[in-house]
Amino acid sequence: MDFPEQLRYSTEHEWVAVDGVRARVGVTDFAQDALGDVVYVELPDVGLSVLAGSSCAEVESTKSVSEIYAPVSGVVVEVNETLVDTPEYVNQEPYGNGWIFAVEMSDPSEVDALLDAAGYRALVEEG
Amino acid sequence: MTTTATGRLFDDVGTARSAEEQMATDVAMLEAVADGASPALRLYEWSPPALSLGRFQPLADVDEEACDRAGVEVVRRPTGGRALLHGGDLTYAVAIPRPAGPAGSVDAVYCRLAAPLIAGLAQLGVHASVARHDGRATGPVCFTSMQGADLRVGERKLCGSAQVRRGGAVLQHGSVLLRRLPVDEVALLHLRPGEDAQLARDQLRHRTVTLEELGAAVTAGAVAEALVDGLRSTLDMDFR
Repeated sequence: MDFPEQLRYSTEHEWVAVDGVRARVGVTDFAQDALGDVVYVELPDVGLSVLAGSSCAEVESTKSVSEIYAPVSGVVVEVNETLVDTPEYVNQEPYGNGWIFAVEMSDPSEVDALLDAAGYRALVEEG
Repeated sequence: MTTTATGRLFDDVGTARSAEEQMATDVAMLEAVADGASPALRLYEWSPPALSLGRFQPLADVDEEACDRAGVEVVRRPTGGRALLHGGDLTYAVAIPRPAGPAGSVDAVYCRLAAPLIAGLAQLGVHASVARHDGRATGPVCFTSMQGADLRVGERKLCGSAQVRRGGAVLQHGSVLLRRLPVDEVALLHLRPGEDAQLARDQLRHRTVTLEELGAAVTAGAVAEALVDGLRSTLDMDFR
């Protein structure tokens, strides 16, 4: 299972790639494996204000619907429209083409509260 | 030492509710567990019959006029999956905190709940097992494909299940087929281009089986009691 070093992670199994005040978000390799085959992604609206920990998207996998939470607060500035036709990217490339949305952060210091790769690995391995 | 958690049991077999009310009750149960309430199990039937759609299934899949003519309500489930006709089934809804780590995966929770369901059905003389995984379902009809969440007898589906996960809790729905309704389920749906209505009817008939066809008890009350016993005997949780 892959946990890239350069990313930060939430306890709800989202990853965050930070570039200045912009944070790109997706679900982790662990999460996509736990969800099973993803068949639909309900994307948030661009312009939506989100609070860290709030639900802002949903992923339907085979016979299950799961909420996706914003790991950081801010405004959704971009969503991955390619998931509309190819939701399987979430399974195939969770850290690449499977990204879900990007947030312009209102408080970049919230990133400090997220887990690093080692911390996240420990979370999923210790259960 | 094994500890047995106590869950709440809501035996709503025979309680009249609209399809909308049934779903709202299950969502309230999920949200209560997400807010810290103890796990809950609810058992119920559908009267009048209803066609439930998966959380994100297009409403365009449904022929609403045909449903009206047949006296079938249409409702959207909070759970995933495809369209399912209720009225000849017993539905269970179980809400539990989402287990941490790998035990909380979709398949792991299905697997954990399959054992008590299989044990309950065994009390009725029915030997069910977990279905093979057909992969991504494509057509609009739930019961024509099998997923790892479903229970089969032989190669025929007896119980379909679906989940939703919110705020640290999981709600799983399952529908145990008691008997067939005198309603043409396929006629309630708009099939997709290339799909053949008669083939879909044949698939529904041949890929599913009811407790009545298996010669088992078919009263919803008896099945509900057996499922609760199964949960008590195999899960570390006692629903009262």
